[in-house]
Order: sequence, then C-alpha cells, then structure tokens
Amino acid sequence: MANRIPIREGAFTESPDGGILLANRCRSCGQIFFPKAVFCLICLGKDIEEIKLSRKGKLYSYTTGHMPSMYFQPPYTIGYVDMPEGVKIFAPLKMVEGKPFKIGMDMEVVIEKLWQEGDNEIIGYKFKPL
Amino acid sequence: MREVAVIGVGQSTFGKFPQKTVVELGREAVLAALQDAGVSPKDIQVACTSKIYHEMVTGQSILKEVGIRGIEMINVENACAGGATAFRGVWKEIATGQYDIGIAIGVESMTTSPIAGKLIPPTKEDLEGQLGLTMPGLFALLARRQMHEYGTTLEDFAMVSVKNHHHGCLNPFAQYRKEFTVEEILNSRMICDPITLLQCCPNTDGAAAAVLCSIKVAKRYTIKPIKVIGSALLSGEYRYLQENMTISPLGSKTVKMAYEMAGVGPEDIDVVELHDAFANEEMLRYEELGLCKVGEGTRLIREKATWVGGRLPVNPSGGLLALGHPLSASGIRNITEIVWHLRGQAGERQTPDAKIGLAHMLGGVVAGIEAGACGIHILAR
Repeated sequence: MANRIPIREGAFTESPDGGILLANRCRSCGQIFFPKAVFCLICLGKDIEEIKLSRKGKLYSYTTGHMPSMYFQPPYTIGYVDMPEGVKIFAPLKMVEGKPFKIGMDMEVVIEKLWQEGDNEIIGYKFKPL
Repeated sequence: MREVAVIGVGQSTFGKFPQKTVVELGREAVLAALQDAGVSPKDIQVACTSKIYHEMVTGQSILKEVGIRGIEMINVENACAGGATAFRGVWKEIATGQYDIGIAIGVESMTTSPIAGKLIPPTKEDLEGQLGLTMPGLFALLARRQMHEYGTTLEDFAMVSVKNHHHGCLNPFAQYRKEFTVEEILNSRMICDPITLLQCCPNTDGAAAAVLCSIKVAKRYTIKPIKVIGSALLSGEYRYLQENMTISPLGSKTVKMAYEMAGVGPEDIDVVELHDAFANEEMLRYEELGLCKVGEGTRLIREKATWVGGRLPVNPSGGLLALGHPLSASGIRNITEIVWHLRGQAGERQTPDAKIGLAHMLGGVVAGIEAGACGIHILAR
C-alpha cells in the first residue's frame, strides 16, 4: 500500500463533499493567505485564523503545456482560479469530457495523486470544470 | 549623488556556443567594452558581475584573463534582471563617490546550464513550480487573459515576433537573423498554448559588459559620454494584491521611480529595449512603461509604431526573441544597444536622432510574488 504524502502539509483536507483548501486570514486586516502564512505578511499582525476556502471558484486563465514541467509530462493543463474569498489559486486543471476549459467557468477543488515517488504517492489539489 | 556616464560597451555574438566557457564568453564582452571605452584594465577600480548558472567568483575568473585583479569585485544573481542589477551596482558605487570608474558584466552559458533545452521552472522548492508552473506557462496564462480583456489576437502576438525577428536581421550580433511570417510563427511547435516555439526566446550563450565612470572622469576618455539619468530596481509585491494579472504594479512602480529620477516621461523616450521573453509579453510592457494606455499595447503593434523606422522603436536589437537571451547578460546587453543608438552607432537599425533611451529587464518567478525583480535604466546623450 502506497503512502499518501501531501505536497504541502496543512494546505488542504478531504471532506465527504470533496477537497477543501485551507487558508488563513488575518483577524486585524482581513488579508487571506494561501498557502498559509505564519503571521500576516501585510500588516504583520500575529492574530491569524485558519479558514476553509470555498470548494468552488471561477477559471481566470488556463494553458496546456506541451513540454515537461518539473513533475508533469505533456500534455498537462494548469490555470488560475478566482475564489469567492478574493484569492487566486494556481493549480493543475483536470479535464472533464464535454466541458472544455473557458475563462469564467465554474471550477471545483479535487484532491488526488499528482505523481509517484517510489512507494509514495504525492497528493495535492487540482481544479476541474463543473 | 554624482552624475555617472557609460563610456564603453561591448557584447559577444549571441548564439549556441557550448564549446565556449563562461570565462571565454565574458572575456570577449569585457575586452570589447574596454576597447570601446579606451580604458586600460589597470584603470578599473570596481567590478560587478551577474550570472546564474556558473559556480563561484565568476567575475574574478573572467577579469583575471584581461589583467584586472586585486580590486573590489562583487558577483550577483537576480534572475533575468541580474544584468540590470550589476549595472546598477556599479552605477551606485560611482554615484555615491566610492569609486570613479568600474565595469558591469553579465554572462550566461545556457546551452551548458542544467536547464538547457527545458522550460525554465521556478526553484525546486517552489509550490507553484511543483504544481506545473513554468515561465512559458505563466506567460501563456497572461496571453489568454490579454485576448479575453483586450481583444488581442494570436496574429497580434505573432506580429511582435515577426517584428523582433526582422530587427534581428539588422543586427550582426543576433542569434537568429531570419525573417518569419505570422503563419510560420503560429504554425511552429506549440509550447504552452497559445504560445508557440517562435514566440519564445531561445537558449542563448553570451555576455555583455559596460564601463561606467563619473562624468568628470568620462571627459578624459570621450567627448560623447552617455549619461545614466535614471536607475531603479525593485522586487515584486505579493500576488494577492494583483487583481488583474495583465497589469503589473511592479513595472509601473519601477518605471515611475526611473522617470522621476531622470526628470523625463514616456513621451520623451526615443528608443526602448525591453524584456520580451515571450511575444505577448512585449505588449504588456508597453503599457506598464507608459508608452500607451492599459489595453492599447495591441494598437502599437497593429500601427507598426514600435518597428525600426516607426514612431518609437522597441527592441531594435531583435530583443530576447531574435537576438537571444543569455539570462544574466541581457540586462547589460540591452543597455549596450541603447548606448549605440544614442551615439548613432546602431547601423541599419539606428533610431534617427535618438536622445533618450530606456532599458527594461524583468526576472524571476516565485509563488505568491508578482516577479522577482524589475530593473530599469534611462540613458541620455
């Protein structure tokens, strides 16, 4: 049985409804950070709380790579997704038959294996069209 | 602050030269700059060298080959803005009165680097890099937004590459001296859609160097010193603060500092060399440098305003797309090009009666930051 290793500890969690990205928010100035910051990088406030980002966002832009990236062999699609909380998330995008990527379309977080390293499965987040 | 002048510039021929070492490339540029300045190696008091893919003390290794040693030498890295950073480093040494004369060097052997023939990724530990972001990937994401926000077409992007390859044909130092059509550019191999191979800067080996000195010392060597009237270098803001990724707060802030220091505005600029690592990027830079309003970069290309012979030539050297892009060298190489235009030495690609020129460089991709560094210099005759 392969070990499931998250690409970043504490960046996401899995719920019965699906994947959830974990961010944090500064209680003083309201800035949201994903991935999480140790303290507020804008106002330097230390009072910072973990929040769950919405599971859905809108596609800001996308591209399909036709040469290898650090861990992905082509073709692979990447993009930015605008979250209702006001943050843009960069992530790999998952293709769904019959739902070609389009700027502004609704996207949903999925948690799945990104790549294999020996016995370890590296787990991370992707977005897929709704 | 003292006034600083550039009295000598030089570059190696750009291309793929895996048989040449970083030291050989650097020496070629340094000797050319010293000869252009009419300065003896013994006169150089300080040196700053920029490189990414070479081991330690690159500047010392190059300069010992030309008889320069035993002086203050600094080596820097600032991604593609490294050359601009080294130039600014020497400018500061002289402007603040530490030294009277110094040399800035940028050098890179891309064909022998670990990323030869690959897409440039962020650093190994960068989260977005691990998730698949690369340089062309990032610019492809921006290209798609430019199409969405401003109605820019694939043909518009390709036209930037047509222009810069045309300019490359006019430059004996260029890696690619070949004309391409819009169709050839669009039909070249897809890298990250919509960016095709001929809209990406190539892997290039090369070096450039510039000799700077105080204006007082400059008069000993030349009657035509080129003055450095603006210099600015900034790192990027958190990406969280950038709502529209096609608008660069980093570029706008850096150029504002440079214009204010120089006491000029975009309307005063006669010739521009800027970071065109990807064809679509050039239009974004027009906007942030204030050469046109946001969203109007496409119009400058359609009107052919930025061609050699146009109202405001941009990248007359051929730019990174055709002249080539040895990462750390480009930020000094583009100052070299501006100096030649201001002196009237740019040959077939000369900007008529150029008085003021601007050299822009941008580099470094880091998760959560708009860009690593933006360096801008304004020069005048």
